[in-house]
Amino acid sequence: MGAGTPAAVDFAVGTFDDLTLVVRAQEGDVRAFEALVRRYQRRFYRLAVRLLGNSSDAEEAVQDAFLSAWRRLPGFRGEAAFSSWMYRIVTNRCLLLLRKRRPVTTLDELRDQPGPESASPEHAAETRDRAVALQRALLDLPTDQRACWILRELHGLGYEDIATIVAASPDAVRGRLHRARRTLAEVMAPWR
Amino acid sequence: MAVNGTHVQPEHAQLACGRDAAVAWDAAVAGRRDAHQRACPHCQAVAEDQRLLASAVAELHEEALEPPASLVEQVMGAVFAEIRPAGYLPLPTRHGRARIDRVAAAGVLRHAVDRMPAVRVRSCQIHLVDPPGPDDATQGTPPVRVRISVTARFGLDLISATARVRQMILAAAADLLGLSVTAIDIDVVDVHDDPSWAPAGADAPS
Repeated sequence: MGAGTPAAVDFAVGTFDDLTLVVRAQEGDVRAFEALVRRYQRRFYRLAVRLLGNSSDAEEAVQDAFLSAWRRLPGFRGEAAFSSWMYRIVTNRCLLLLRKRRPVTTLDELRDQPGPESASPEHAAETRDRAVALQRALLDLPTDQRACWILRELHGLGYEDIATIVAASPDAVRGRLHRARRTLAEVMAPWR
Repeated sequence: MAVNGTHVQPEHAQLACGRDAAVAWDAAVAGRRDAHQRACPHCQAVAEDQRLLASAVAELHEEALEPPASLVEQVMGAVFAEIRPAGYLPLPTRHGRARIDRVAAAGVLRHAVDRMPAVRVRSCQIHLVDPPGPDDATQGTPPVRVRISVTARFGLDLISATARVRQMILAAAADLLGLSVTAIDIDVVDVHDDPSWAPAGADAPS
């Protein structure tokens, strides 16, 4: 297929930088927005599953967040990166859902998913159980601590970025992280 | 955690030794603890917590959590349902009024330029030079001005590239839309890398 065919052009759009895709989406190019959704769906789905504890709520939250981003794109001025802006939208959407409902901590579905390759079935089961125990402990944390911990430990964001996302000071973020880490370490102590 | 009373202020992450718990944690992650952190029981306790959680955190990282295949489709279905016309451009016709959505028309021009391998369209807008009156439907082709911004592959000859962009827009506007373009403003706003591109004559990987 040549570089100029429609399919090749659509594929090429998927490789464009975020800013180019955002500007095009702001001008009504839905394919550019679709490229952004495809690029970030996995990252934000994983964030939502960890925050909410189940896949159906996570799917709903991520869908709502992307739709909200589409509606708010005209007001997006690009002071922050698109991904930082989306982190804020997805996290807030999840926190809103958590405030509205009692969290449904159906960990069976997480337990059923394949884990990493391991040397033996026993080791695999232990590894799996440890990850499930941590996820369970995570869901028992207060939501503000949970959000900070996930953004830091699983998404590798800096304190300033997390502070912007959760609308708190960097000091408050560090405090929440410290308390979350202490609680998780206590819960995970039997796995030492 | 071996030490009680490790944190002394509820809102801040200060350890009883006065050190910031987040700093102690990050030092443990990086394996770069200073002399105080190696000797202090509070900092040691933080490092111990970090070691304890590290493997479980790595396991959560590796867990296969894939979004459902329908997610993109669901989002885009909702997006398409919300699309509203952004204004129209009149099209030349001898048999009554015809018009095209401004976003769709810009999309046609954008798509034409996207076919160039070394150029990426960022913004593309079409403006009527003289908006026609209500009785102008059977008049000639409405003149428009196109404003386009692009990024170019690093090292591209920008003079010939912008000339080619101009050519593509003129051709697409005339042949596909029937619009008469009186002016084209082109901004090259950035350069980009293209790892898939190799200059002519470069050795192919063996």
